[in-house]
Amino acid sequence: MISIDRVSKQFETSRARRHLALSDISLSVARGEFVSILGPSGCGKSTLLYIVGGFVEQSSGAVIVDDNPVTGPGPDRGPVFQEFALFPWKTVLGNVMYGLDQRGMPKDEALARSRELLTMVKLSGYENFYPKELSGGMKQRVAIARTLAYRPNILLMDEPFGALDAHTRTKLQNDLLGIWEKDRKTVLFVTHSVEEAVFLSDRVVMMTSSPGRIKDIIKINLPRPRERAALLLNRRYQDYVVEIEKMMDEQPETRVS
Amino acid sequence: MSPRVSNTFDMAIGVIPIALLIALWQGIAMSGAAPPSLLPPPGVVFGRFLQQIVSPAYLEHAYVTLYRLFVGFGIAVLAGVTFGILMTGSKAVASIVRPIVRVLAPVPKIALYPAFTLTLGYDDASKIALVIADAMFPILLATYQGALAVEPKLAWSARAAGVSPLKTLFTVILPAAMPSVLTGCRIGLIISCIVVFLAEMITSTDGLGHLLVRAARNFQTVDMFVPLITISILGLLLNAAFNALRRYLLRGFPEEK
Ligand SMILES: Nc1ncnc2c1ncn2[C@@H]1O[C@H](COP(=O)(O)OP(=O)(O)OP(=O)(O)O)[C@@H](O)[C@H]1O
Ligand SMILES: [Mg+2]
Repeated sequence: MISIDRVSKQFETSRARRHLALSDISLSVARGEFVSILGPSGCGKSTLLYIVGGFVEQSSGAVIVDDNPVTGPGPDRGPVFQEFALFPWKTVLGNVMYGLDQRGMPKDEALARSRELLTMVKLSGYENFYPKELSGGMKQRVAIARTLAYRPNILLMDEPFGALDAHTRTKLQNDLLGIWEKDRKTVLFVTHSVEEAVFLSDRVVMMTSSPGRIKDIIKINLPRPRERAALLLNRRYQDYVVEIEKMMDEQPETRVS
Repeated sequence: MSPRVSNTFDMAIGVIPIALLIALWQGIAMSGAAPPSLLPPPGVVFGRFLQQIVSPAYLEHAYVTLYRLFVGFGIAVLAGVTFGILMTGSKAVASIVRPIVRVLAPVPKIALYPAFTLTLGYDDASKIALVIADAMFPILLATYQGALAVEPKLAWSARAAGVSPLKTLFTVILPAAMPSVLTGCRIGLIISCIVVFLAEMITSTDGLGHLLVRAARNFQTVDMFVPLITISILGLLLNAAFNALRRYLLRGFPEEK
């Protein structure tokens, strides 16, 4: 379980200049819940995810994960970055195996686990490719496999499909949902796309910008397992999308803080 | 054009300027502008070179120079890379090393050579010390700059997988900074070639630099040119070997061919 308690983040941008990126964020995510974060560009979605990941320190407040306050990164929380962040000097297999290797998993075990994950993300046969030889969608799948390899209980995904074309995007959404429905990890998922958020999530968190605040949290009552084609025709799904899109439009672009 | 063909093509192009240089040398020698006793024609010098390159006595000198070059350069790489990386990882190391580097880097190291010979003797140690002193700083600075510029998300990905900060430094930051590290090493290698020769010219009883000075003192101009040719051919070979190593190490990096 993730409990974000009154977290604020202030960046010191330059001498005597400060920027309040996040203000007083409180949010609880239950074990096995899929929560999306929607909000205008620059409202602090990535920053919030980095704080939960332990990569960036909050200015005030606390993040508690399974009763332990977050003080740094840990293998219980697996990030997937929008920029993939693959190791360019390692092959696809090397990337997925890296964490397992470093933590002392026996070689053959690490190899078996990595191959299993590459099969899961439909990349078997690409083990010896370098990231530069892959398409954007394939790179993102490697990044997802690399993170899943060390079995984090929580996935922190920052617009993982943002850089992809619409077709690849829906394919990966389906794949992610398939993987998630199997072992129900807790997912915190940042996105710009309303449809994506509604399709994937149990709850959608809407943020406002300058400073980033939680504006609203919408519970998505749609049956699972979800199937894209059926959902697109589902009236409730359509209503959610329209409602959330309207709320996004109403958002004041900037606010005096 | 296939890569292989274009490689031989590039090499052929590379040979042309050198051939022109030798032709110019031949031209000047034939024109009589410089007496043959001062500027022997290239044919004579290369003939002597071929003679010497199979003479054990000459090879012994070449070996001594190479030994000093490699030991000095090797230690410079180890020290420069290690300190450069550790400076990125630890503020404490950085705050100690940075001022030292700032003071020592601009000092003309050749000025330290008398002190090295007094403390380390006239043998290998003083020459190796000079090579280290001269080659280490460009390697250290290139490593430090390169490591600072590494995308933080690469390190985050490792830390999230449960890899310790120190291990992350050497398994992620260092390989990610490799393009910059190798640029520093190339500069260090060139400097090493120059400096080992210089040191041998100043005080030595063996090595290629010593042979050159000895020949010059005795007005044996042909023998004076032979060590020069040897060191330039060595430089070419080292450069080719370095490029092959670089291509291998950077095979995954997008900007490298
Ligand atoms: N390292 C930093 N130093 C200073 N300011 C920062 C830093 N990182 C982020 N910010 C600021 O914090 C705010 C939130 O940034 P963040 O990247 O979290 O936004 P975001 O919601 O993820 O945006 P996007 O949707 O475009 O990815 C922005 O105004 C940004 O300028
Ligand atoms: Mg972002």
